[in-house]
Amino acid sequence: MPRVAAAALVVFAVLYVLVIADPPGEFGGGTWRTTNTGSALDDPSSFLTTVLDGLTFAGLLFIVASGFSLIFGLMRVVNMAHGAFYLLGGYIAYEVQQRMTGSGFGLQPGEVNTLEWVVPWLIAMVCIGVFGLGVQQLLLRWNQGQDLRQALITIAVSVIVADQVIAHFPRTVPAGIQPYGGNAVSISWPGWTNRLVDLHVGGVSYSLSRFTMLGLGIVVGIVLWLWLHQTKTGLVIRAGVDDRQMTSALGINIQTTFAIAFLVGSALAAFGAVVGGSQASIAQGRDGEWLLFSLIVVIIGGMGSLAGAAVGSVLYGLVFAFAVAYLPITGDNCCSQYSVVLTFVLMALVLAFRPQGLFGRAA
Amino acid sequence: MTLDATKTGAERAIGVVALVLAVLAPLLFSDFWLNSILTQALILGIGAASLIFLSAYGGMISLAQTGLMGIAGYALANMVTQRVPGGETKGLLLGWDPMLALVLAILLTVGIGLVFGAVASRSFGIYFLMLTLTYTVIAFLFVGSVTLIGGFSPVAGVDRYTPGFIGDIANDRTRLYYIALITAGFVYLLIRYLIRTPFGISMQGIRDEPVRMASLGYNVALHRTLAFGIGAFVAALGGVLYAWWFGQLSPTTMGLDATIQLLIIAVVGGLRRIEGAWLGALAFIWINNEVTNRIPSDGLPVIGGTFNTIIGFVFLALVIVSPDGLMGLWDRMWDAARRRGRPPQVDMETPEETAMASSS
Amino acid sequence: MKVGRWRLLLPLALLVVGGTVATSGALATPAQSGEVKVAIMTDCKGAFAFGYEVDTAGALAALSQYAGAKPKNKKKPSAGITGGTAGGKSINIVGIGCGDETPALALKETRRLMNQLGGEVMIGPLSGDEAVTIANWAKANPQKTVIIGTAGSQDPTMQIAPKNLFRYHGDGAQWNAGLGEIVYKKLGWRTAALIGDDYSFPWTSAAGIIADFCGIGGRITKRVWTPPAGGDYAPFIRQLPAPDKVDGYFWLVGGANTGAALTAFEQAYGSVKASQHSGNLFLFFLGNFATVAPKLIGSYMGGFGTAQTGLKTKKANTYVKQAGKWYPGVADVNDGFFYNYWNAAWALVQGLNKSNGAVGAALHRALPRTLKPAFQVANGGTLRLDSRRQAIQDQYPLQIVEGTDGKPAALVAGYVPNVDQTFGGTFGPNKSAPGRNFPPCVKRKLPWQGKVQVVKNGVITKQFIK
Repeated sequence: MPRVAAAALVVFAVLYVLVIADPPGEFGGGTWRTTNTGSALDDPSSFLTTVLDGLTFAGLLFIVASGFSLIFGLMRVVNMAHGAFYLLGGYIAYEVQQRMTGSGFGLQPGEVNTLEWVVPWLIAMVCIGVFGLGVQQLLLRWNQGQDLRQALITIAVSVIVADQVIAHFPRTVPAGIQPYGGNAVSISWPGWTNRLVDLHVGGVSYSLSRFTMLGLGIVVGIVLWLWLHQTKTGLVIRAGVDDRQMTSALGINIQTTFAIAFLVGSALAAFGAVVGGSQASIAQGRDGEWLLFSLIVVIIGGMGSLAGAAVGSVLYGLVFAFAVAYLPITGDNCCSQYSVVLTFVLMALVLAFRPQGLFGRAA
Repeated sequence: MTLDATKTGAERAIGVVALVLAVLAPLLFSDFWLNSILTQALILGIGAASLIFLSAYGGMISLAQTGLMGIAGYALANMVTQRVPGGETKGLLLGWDPMLALVLAILLTVGIGLVFGAVASRSFGIYFLMLTLTYTVIAFLFVGSVTLIGGFSPVAGVDRYTPGFIGDIANDRTRLYYIALITAGFVYLLIRYLIRTPFGISMQGIRDEPVRMASLGYNVALHRTLAFGIGAFVAALGGVLYAWWFGQLSPTTMGLDATIQLLIIAVVGGLRRIEGAWLGALAFIWINNEVTNRIPSDGLPVIGGTFNTIIGFVFLALVIVSPDGLMGLWDRMWDAARRRGRPPQVDMETPEETAMASSS
Repeated sequence: MKVGRWRLLLPLALLVVGGTVATSGALATPAQSGEVKVAIMTDCKGAFAFGYEVDTAGALAALSQYAGAKPKNKKKPSAGITGGTAGGKSINIVGIGCGDETPALALKETRRLMNQLGGEVMIGPLSGDEAVTIANWAKANPQKTVIIGTAGSQDPTMQIAPKNLFRYHGDGAQWNAGLGEIVYKKLGWRTAALIGDDYSFPWTSAAGIIADFCGIGGRITKRVWTPPAGGDYAPFIRQLPAPDKVDGYFWLVGGANTGAALTAFEQAYGSVKASQHSGNLFLFFLGNFATVAPKLIGSYMGGFGTAQTGLKTKKANTYVKQAGKWYPGVADVNDGFFYNYWNAAWALVQGLNKSNGAVGAALHRALPRTLKPAFQVANGGTLRLDSRRQAIQDQYPLQIVEGTDGKPAALVAGYVPNVDQTFGGTFGPNKSAPGRNFPPCVKRKLPWQGKVQVVKNGVITKQFIK
């Protein structure tokens, strides 16, 4: 019975977006059917744009969440410091880009070339990868199997790292601005991304930077898939995810594999930070925000599953974009302020019917 | 063994001394200490007790307790405050009778707790931890986004509306202190009573051997759900007391920082003993106050950073060295005396994790 | 066994002794008379972290100028002052509060400063929601005094308005007076959309813009409020009408997200045209000076109640000389964060002198109901407090221009005399507080409509904006 009700709800929501909704009238006001742009039939280009918004954001979500999921899936370590790694990686990339471009000022998009984005990206990934590896070797290696203890350790690390990052970044600021304090900074995309691409569908032009975000997410997904399915290390990781004890009992050096996985997972957090910092900004508070996003995506998609991280990202990104765009506007206090709530309804639905996540193993 | 009897005796003695000091506190301590440090320690201790109850006797480390406290506080605040000239401007401002609002707030929180618990009852260990964390974050984002019930701004003035039997706590802060003390005592006795009931014992059985208990015919999910509901009840008490003590609710009350703070308090005190709740709360608040008063504005010397860095390191050290917190240190001291120098192994992996690992 | 017992008793004894020593610090210390305990409340974390030194500089510089105090460290205001007397009592700075913009920490710091450390007067806080909290606290602590630093929320002096709370500067709505008229007349805007964060300061800030713009005949066609939780701004930007469907946009997104929101706009519609964008002070301050302002050279924006780049009047020049000598190089004395704290501390000194050092109700009676701050020009240069102890202040809308060094600079673009908090009756204690849909967009004659004067190079001309 609950399954039927939930399915009916989903079908209704889809139909609402596609057909039922109405555009706002001439004189304002509205009913439960009124949305900003009407349904997909009324305004297909808005619908397409919303789909693209959701998918491109999902690209970024996937990059960050995949690292989180990888570490958990293999080592059963909930890396609560994943968000802190994101924050540190973002600031490092910002500092490197500022040194390279040297303006100390808000970079206009045309001023940055590809190298000036790629080098900060690489350096941030390497730094955070090594940092994460250090944390793992020092604090997590000797207490494997004690999941809760490791979770508490990573929580402690997140508190310390976040506090220290806020105290010491950003360092490169224009004259007259105070450094440190975790103030907001942006990383700049390379100049060539700063244009709109004409899709020749419904008159929609969409931002190339956002397509780049999606593209990077897809690339990460493909590379990870190839790594996990076509290389020996990946094979060991998948075996370890399936049955850790058996894998090490077979004499395979599971410790090296753990180290590699933690390094890759942390580096992915930095990867995501550079993309997220280019797209939005890096500031104090982003660590908690991105830990939360990673958590939600892997809860929806399932722990330790790459496909789960991908599906979870897409679902979350789409629900977020559609919630803002297609919630009814009936009056003063309804309903767009509930857009955040709708994303939780998604999570609740998944949890109610499949507590281990869509692609997770039965716990 | 006489040593056990001595330990129990020592604990009883310390407990009596602490209780006497607590009752006489308004005479011994300054107003600020009473109102800000001690009362807050009692209230946060109640919240931590709900966490430790679930972890010590249910084997579930829950990060939802902060969220439940916040839900109770917000419910109370929205129901009780009203639109008066020169008064508060945020929240639903329903202006209902405080007694009714108190009961409804607790019932609502327990209800939500049971729903949360039902969904989480089939998860164990880390999964449970993460799921309960998302509960708190949901509550946090909900009250932050839904401006009708508060939004980012504080819903204030809650301490002016109290039920008759509680009286005026806005002007007479000592009254609130005693109410917090009585409630803390009630919670402590309630928990100690519960763990001796058949329900409590079966809960502890589920903590240790969930598979075996299931095969014996116990409804594991139901027990865990009910235990979570009891935890929600205790958290609700803490939440309404917090609303009266702080006088206002804002989303920060159940943010990530507050959640981790409650966890740190519970771990510092000791996740396996209820007394740790108040011990941890007092230690945390006292250190926080001392450090805040002494740190220069540009951060800690040499390494920079704030109190968070310090408590992060303390927390890390505790988790590595003595995962059972201060009460664990106390226990180990006695065990060391008993074994004359051979300290016992302290295992952070709860027995059910061993069971889960070996059964998968 | 005897050895074992000692092993137990020793730590136990240490515990008891340690506990006693620790709590002995808790016993009450008697208050000292002959001094006035002043606390400064500001932020040292979060978006306004820089406020710590700048606000403190403003307050302590005023105490140095008017109460004979001397800074301990001219490069570091938070080191404190020596000396300083007012009304025959010496001034003791008990502490500087370290908030992070959230109400919870504000209340905690207030209790620490005013209850634990015994503060009797507070100068502060810095931000809007902190002030709402502290106003509620002040209501419950009538013997204490609070003089707001720079907080811009409306509630503290409109709806809550306790008798011991004073504000010698405008609120967030007042800061935007005149902006709507400028974009209507000079840029020809007739319709506009608005996007801001979903909490009380942006609502208050927007209220000022809406009252002005709609008052003169403009129409706000859409209000988009973004959740403070962040996330992706693209879907919210899509809620705004396209640039060809509306004449202009008002931006009230702040903190870490101004840049993110503007980037999302560029990605949706191409580059921004400065003549189509306006907003409140968030566009320029708090680090957005580097990331956002360069894209908006030429945009008009709301001010901060100060003539940001100075005025060429005798009073303003004197102020710059006086204020600048105490902490040279630490802060820009024309900046609102310094100027407003300066005025608050100055008012306190005047009040203490009048009450002969008494605090409490005597101080509340003695605090001046008029002040002559540097940038007040109307009424012969006198700023007045209204019946709820809120300032009626001249306002200065600003424009972002390219400075001589190629970096963005804020230029004073207009002068609006005597802006009161009610906006000529638009707002009031019995009306709703500014919210997502309040005030409605209605045509209405505001007291300063048609009276916004042109300011050129720091000189207020007699011309009105046409």
